[in-house]
Amino acid sequence: MHSELRLAVMSILAGVEDADFSYLKKQTGATSGNLSVQIDKLSAAGYISVEKGFKGKVPCTTCKITSAGLTAFENYVNSLKEYLI
Amino acid sequence: MENIEQKNEMTAQQSLNIISEMINESRRTILQSSAKHFMLWGSLLIVVSLVIYWLWQYSGSPVWNVVWFVMPALGFPMVRILERKESDIPQSKINMNIGLIWLTYCIFAVCISVIAMLWISMNITLILVVLVGFAEAISGFLLKNWAITISGFIIGIGGAVMASLLAAGAEQLLIFTVCGIMLVITGLIIKSQYK
Repeated sequence: MHSELRLAVMSILAGVEDADFSYLKKQTGATSGNLSVQIDKLSAAGYISVEKGFKGKVPCTTCKITSAGLTAFENYVNSLKEYLI
Repeated sequence: MENIEQKNEMTAQQSLNIISEMINESRRTILQSSAKHFMLWGSLLIVVSLVIYWLWQYSGSPVWNVVWFVMPALGFPMVRILERKESDIPQSKINMNIGLIWLTYCIFAVCISVIAMLWISMNITLILVVLVGFAEAISGFLLKNWAITISGFIIGIGGAVMASLLAAGAEQLLIFTVCGIMLVITGLIIKSQYK
């Protein structure tokens, strides 16, 4: 999680049911390629689940934080707080 | 917003800044979307209440209150269109809860109206206006937005007082017109706050 983009993606996903790729790209301002790579890494770590489907006729990638991802994110934020306090 | 590229060295403070920036940005987008819902339902309430008021005044018959049922019939398809336009905006847990609150309000409103029209006579305006205010105030608490909460209290308490003071008749409908105006203003406030 210790990369700006991965952390940004996790921060967004922690507050929503799920989010599609275009929303994450817009919110983070990242390039498609970079975002794809980081999403794959988060998915491989089991922090997010990725579902590929269609919205009408347009391909759509939807990401959702897993319970393991939420726990990891909470632990990460708590560690940061402890470190700063 | 500046592009976020992959960096492996971040201080704890930088990490927290990213988290809060992303959460705030996401909250802003979601609130902007909820503003449109307030404006849509508010506008619909203004139009429908004024149409019924005019029909009631013109014909002298309260039977025109059945036109209220047009509101959900028109409103929900319009919400679907709005959501389709903003299909990339995710559903937050807060938005889902607010949706459930207003859905509950709609169920209450329809059931109470049907009971009042067919079975037991009661002051529907008073009940419905309190419920609108209640739903809006809770929405405000969930969205952590004082403008919405305060206007909810004004609608609920002010509306209840007005419904009790005004004589039973077409004039009661104007309370709903004011409610609609308050909902539109709420939407406009959220929109301007989270531009």
